[in-house]
Amino acid sequence: MKASSPIPHPILTGSTLREWYGAELARISGKFDRSGNGSATASARAALLDQVIGKIHGALLSSSPSLDQGLCIAAIGGYGRRALFPQSDVDLLLLCENGAAEKRLRPSFTAISQALWDLPVRVSPATRTLDECGRFNSENAEFTISLLDCRPLAGDLKLFGRLHDQVIPKMVAREQRDLLRMLHQLVRERHAKHGNTIFGLEPNIKDSPGGLRDYAVARSLALVSWMGAQRAWAEPESLWPAELREQCLLAFDFLAAARCFLHYRCQRDDNSMTYESQDEAASRAIGLGDKQPISAADWMRHYFRKARSIDRLTNLLIEESVPEQSSLYATFEGRRTRLSNADFQVAREQIFLANPSALADRAFLLRPFEFMARHGLSLSGEAQRQIEHRVADAAGELTLSADIWTSFRQILLLPGAAPALRAMHACGLLVALLPEFKVIDALVTRDFYHRYTVDEHSFMTVENLHRLRRPGEDWEQKYREILDELEQPELLFFALLLHDVGKGMAGDNHVQGSLQAARQVLARLALPSVQAETVLFLIANHLEMSRTLQRRDIFNPEEIRSFSRRVGAPERLKMLCLFTYADIRSVNPEALTPWKAEMLWQLYAATENHLNRAVDEERFHAAGAGEQQLKAVSAILPGNIAEEEIAAFLEGFPERYLASHSPEEIATHLQMSRRLAQEPFQIEPAHDRDRFTLTLLTRDRPRLLATTVGTLYGWGMSIVKAEAFASTAGIALDTFHFIDLFRTLELNPSERERFRQSLIQTLSGQQSLEAVLAKRSPGSFAATSKIDIPTQIRFDDTCSSLSSVLELVAADRPGLLYQVASLLSELGCNIEVALIDTEGPKAIDVFYLTAQGLKLDPAREEAIEKALLSRIG
Amino acid sequence: MTRIEAIVRPSTFEPVKEALREIGVEGMTVSEVRGHGRQKGHTEVYRGREYSVDFLPKIMIEMILPDNLVEPVVQAILRTAKTGKIGDGKIFISQVQDAIRIRNEERGESAL
Repeated sequence: MKASSPIPHPILTGSTLREWYGAELARISGKFDRSGNGSATASARAALLDQVIGKIHGALLSSSPSLDQGLCIAAIGGYGRRALFPQSDVDLLLLCENGAAEKRLRPSFTAISQALWDLPVRVSPATRTLDECGRFNSENAEFTISLLDCRPLAGDLKLFGRLHDQVIPKMVAREQRDLLRMLHQLVRERHAKHGNTIFGLEPNIKDSPGGLRDYAVARSLALVSWMGAQRAWAEPESLWPAELREQCLLAFDFLAAARCFLHYRCQRDDNSMTYESQDEAASRAIGLGDKQPISAADWMRHYFRKARSIDRLTNLLIEESVPEQSSLYATFEGRRTRLSNADFQVAREQIFLANPSALADRAFLLRPFEFMARHGLSLSGEAQRQIEHRVADAAGELTLSADIWTSFRQILLLPGAAPALRAMHACGLLVALLPEFKVIDALVTRDFYHRYTVDEHSFMTVENLHRLRRPGEDWEQKYREILDELEQPELLFFALLLHDVGKGMAGDNHVQGSLQAARQVLARLALPSVQAETVLFLIANHLEMSRTLQRRDIFNPEEIRSFSRRVGAPERLKMLCLFTYADIRSVNPEALTPWKAEMLWQLYAATENHLNRAVDEERFHAAGAGEQQLKAVSAILPGNIAEEEIAAFLEGFPERYLASHSPEEIATHLQMSRRLAQEPFQIEPAHDRDRFTLTLLTRDRPRLLATTVGTLYGWGMSIVKAEAFASTAGIALDTFHFIDLFRTLELNPSERERFRQSLIQTLSGQQSLEAVLAKRSPGSFAATSKIDIPTQIRFDDTCSSLSSVLELVAADRPGLLYQVASLLSELGCNIEVALIDTEGPKAIDVFYLTAQGLKLDPAREEAIEKALLSRIG
Repeated sequence: MTRIEAIVRPSTFEPVKEALREIGVEGMTVSEVRGHGRQKGHTEVYRGREYSVDFLPKIMIEMILPDNLVEPVVQAILRTAKTGKIGDGKIFISQVQDAIRIRNEERGESAL
């Protein structure tokens, strides 16, 4: 029998329904204006559409009584969830028993859609048979996912019952793996479109990570996982972890209010929270209970906190729902599981605590994060909850202090430091360790430049530095080399973590605020003062390099000189350069252009060169700029040492000496100089991790450097870094950092005194250097590096007015410095200043030379070059 | 209508921008560029490695102006960007055939 068109009912053609619908919409809109309750508004619109569809269906049924045979109208997607936002499309399922029914009912479907469009309601109808609903098509995965929210509206309820109770659970159980995989893929693609971050200047509150779409995905993930195993329905939110559930329900309410606000404002389905929208939402306190207007920055802070909760939940559910993969993956996964140890179980890239009660030990609390940072894993939801509970119980007792600094420092140095810091922050542990950090939690810097909240920016700086170690652009390689040269990179990372804390404090100058906070933290850590001073220096000057780039001509030697004076020492310059790199890079992904990075590096290289080539031009003089340094040293020394004596000791030392030693170290050196009358060779050894340090203070004399380094070499020490200075008073102060190649001193503490005595004896002439050197086997002078590093010798007579500067680059080897220093002495040179450094297998040495108190003439320079090439190759 | 392209040192860009704003120039396009004139740059040595500083970083500012603003703009740039040393940059001036505002298809000087 041919299908006949239904007789048009007045309700479908007249204006009564339209007017009523319009009035109801206005009522809902007015209620939102008063209450600001987005969830209720979305729910009210859904209820209104339920009534509308009920009326339309009723009208059609009265003119076509057989309509309900084999037809059911159901709400799916957001409408099914009763979250129908003011301008959202209405997702409808027109369900039929089979193909024949579909054909018969087609005119009715058209009538329903037409009636709705006329109201006007933007409806997205999907016409399907029961069988079609039971098939999963990856090309149209969104439809299958929308079925998870289905809800009957009108028609054959028995038909709907079959869909709901049989077809869908059976399909989900069968297709669970593909459904989950598809959900993961859709999330990944969508997140990638939005920069893989919740932080956007104008986020899309529906599609951005942490937005309403992710909320819906979190429901779907939980339900698919549950239904696949149980073949039954459940309230998806009830399947979420309890702590996150509460947060995310609140987050939904906030976002729902924001979305309703945007839809009413724009009168279309536009979900971008533009700058103007943020201003208005803040002034109307959208989503906030107390309705007090706040600043746009504060409103966005609320937004990011909510988005963070939803993002965290979504990521957690994605991790927990990874479907079984191929055998190749299983093999890889097996290897990862083998990372498990007595403390941590690893499954599916997540860390579980083998013994949660161990968290009671303060020192153990950081271990899961260290494990995470080392192996690139994430914490399981279970471990996160256990740590959160522990942190909540122990509030106030967990402040970072000296006893757990070693663990914290270790985390900062590991490749996964940034994710670990984020996880610590999410668990509340970071703020427990560093209460000063709390003020920048989700703090927004509201301008067109800063993409991230202040806390996230700080994590990004740490992340961007660690990223340098991965293969990247050519211009990044230069920065990677600087990073590899740092002696104490943890100080840089720590300074980065704290540098913007001041932005959350009152006052215009955030640098001062950050310094104040850093001082409090450093006092608790009881770090050696030179380390604490380095952290404070970096924070105090963290804007200086980019200011110099912006405002100064970096190719003007005078500007370089001025900047060098500010920085003082190469190690600080390296750190400041990397700090600036990371800081700019972490403002937004486009902030550090290759152009800017190149300029930054040029400034760094020019300053480093100046620091090495102008050492003897800039010397300490008590009158003038030296006064402050004088007072700093004086404050540490006992009161019976007059400032005049300190001034006399420091007079003429290169500024470089003062820049690279703390007031405490300088005070120690002064004390050493006071003992010279009793003991002409003052030797102060030290041992830190794998390095030994030796400070020698004595009256300057010919061949001093050659004799000292020769003795070190004879004892099997390999010098990696050294500085040799002399003051106007003729005091030589040489500092050597070396590695004990044969572990003589390390394994035989009694040898340390014998070594010291041996040095004194060779320096005083009581023992010949040749006797010491005789202990080394011949052939020890050969270069040990496998990399071919050609020897480069360069004289510069322009950078110093007092000396000729010799720069030597060669393959590093034990004894190299002895060969060079002794040859320079043999050829009649006096070494005024020596700066010795190594860069992996490369030795980079700078000598300031005079002969008879004058710069070298070209003939002598040529002779030196020839002799060096001949001796060291 | 006249196009002005000014290539200046990065360190003078902020003062130039301020000076232009003071005389009423609101619209400009700014690019980070590298270049050289007769200055040509030089080779530096850093820790034994040579690196050439031949294309020097500069900022290029492009503006399309009504004719009456051209000379005040040129003077403002000269005043703020000049140091007297090689590498100060250059200003290029050319005629523009037409200007169109995309939003409302307005043409001519009123589109500026």
